[in-house]
Amino acid sequence: MAATELAVPPRPRVWPRIAVVTGALVVITVLTTLPTLGGVEVDLDAIARNWGNGAERIGKLFRPDLSILPRTWEPLIETIEMALVGTAIAAVLAVPLSLWAARPSNPRAATRRGVRLVLNVVRAVPDLVYATILVAMIGVGTLPGIITLILFDLGIVVKLVSEAVDSADASYMEAGRAAGGTQTQINRLTTLPQMWPMFASQVLYSLELNVRVSAILGIVGAGGLGRLIDEVRGFYRYDSLATIIAEILVVVILIELLSNFLRKRLR
Amino acid sequence: MPDRTQRTEAGAHTTPASVSWPIDLSHVTVRYPNGVTALTDVSLHIASGEMVAVVGLSGSGKSTLIRTINGLVPVTSGAVRVGPHTVSALSGRPLRALRGHIGMIFQGFNLADRASVYHNVLVGRFAHSPTWRTVLGIAGANDRDIAMRSLESVGMLDKVWGRAGALSGGQKQRVAIARALSQEPAVMLADEPVASLDPPTAHTVMSDLLHINRERNLTVLVNLHLVDLARQYTTRVIGLRGGKVVYDGLAAHATDADFEAIYGRPIQSRDRLDR
Repeated sequence: MAATELAVPPRPRVWPRIAVVTGALVVITVLTTLPTLGGVEVDLDAIARNWGNGAERIGKLFRPDLSILPRTWEPLIETIEMALVGTAIAAVLAVPLSLWAARPSNPRAATRRGVRLVLNVVRAVPDLVYATILVAMIGVGTLPGIITLILFDLGIVVKLVSEAVDSADASYMEAGRAAGGTQTQINRLTTLPQMWPMFASQVLYSLELNVRVSAILGIVGAGGLGRLIDEVRGFYRYDSLATIIAEILVVVILIELLSNFLRKRLR
Repeated sequence: MPDRTQRTEAGAHTTPASVSWPIDLSHVTVRYPNGVTALTDVSLHIASGEMVAVVGLSGSGKSTLIRTINGLVPVTSGAVRVGPHTVSALSGRPLRALRGHIGMIFQGFNLADRASVYHNVLVGRFAHSPTWRTVLGIAGANDRDIAMRSLESVGMLDKVWGRAGALSGGQKQRVAIARALSQEPAVMLADEPVASLDPPTAHTVMSDLLHINRERNLTVLVNLHLVDLARQYTTRVIGLRGGKVVYDGLAAHATDADFEAIYGRPIQSRDRLDR
């Protein structure tokens, strides 16, 4: 074979697009940082002025006061309980919701869009807003915290799992349809085992997040360690705060190790 | 007591162990929403118990033709009749009930890889069992028995509790055949069932289909693009080109020239399984 001229198609020009994107980024940055143009004020001087205050507190954080430990056990266990109960209830609710939110497992556009819309709204509201409203509605305690965690988890798990079902190969559904199955039958017997590993993985991830989130929720009165955090912060006891933060860190790492171990076994 | 007799009669009607249906297409045209016309004025009669190959190149309309028979693809005009039913007039529950009597196997096997072989075969019992039973995950003794017998008949019973994804290609297709058999079908459709398999396995699967056709006198319609398999395993060849029937005759009489006319090009080595 003699070397012949290759008919390479002309390479598409990309530099105009790159120029437009770069230009847009520059304009947005300038607009958002110039106070005269209505942007946010970035005052670097403030850091230098207030450095003394911050340094003292950070210093205290590095000398944790362990005497508070006995008082933390009960709220710590409450926090872990909230995380577990919230995750478990959210997991049960997420199974049908994920199936309804994905196109292959729910061909009806109306209900699918409905479920997706509701979940988008649920996800858009910050968890502290839920906790604040629920504390006002139900009263101080773990229940508003647990409901907040359920809403928070549903937003994450249903979105990620339904998107995984959307993008996964669904040829087995054609077989179910050809055999005369209803969508519910197909979902129960075949879609469920297909999405199970992804589902379990997301539920474990949401459990990890829940420990962090539920530690904060107590600040607005929704139970758990947050209540204690709010208290010691109020008294400027940054040394005690350091102990609580270290405790949360340990629990989060332990749960992460456990969920990593379980997730590996899923594959 | 009268209730019981009725149920037995219904059971006898819905489990036609030896019933086989003819297939009739009259002036069937299928146009997809994207404007592509896949079938143009196709009329066919397939008698019950026939073993028919539908041959043609990819894009000739084979897959569409076979999917009009169980209503997976709706016809734009014309009528499809299977046994006593008019497929093209049905939808919803009656269509699902009819599909329960039409077994189908696919080129890509279409198994749920992470589910067990047992659950994959139970898919074949969908139309014959109420939804609540499937949802609760309790198969009736009859469904379970039929599923096991189907697996036994394709020699896959020892894998029943294993994961479908762990099987080889040939084993997957045999599980898929068991799934179709567990419907106790009156018609069997196969869309390129051996295109993803190596030659020895392809012969095994075609033999299984031939066996089903002879043993149960079941109407079998199989899409193929391999000339030698069509001749060896089927009795009648229907050739499709550009969505039209261009050949219809006995498989034994179909010459290479006939296949070349169907394909619109000379026969090549890739048109045969055994080169």
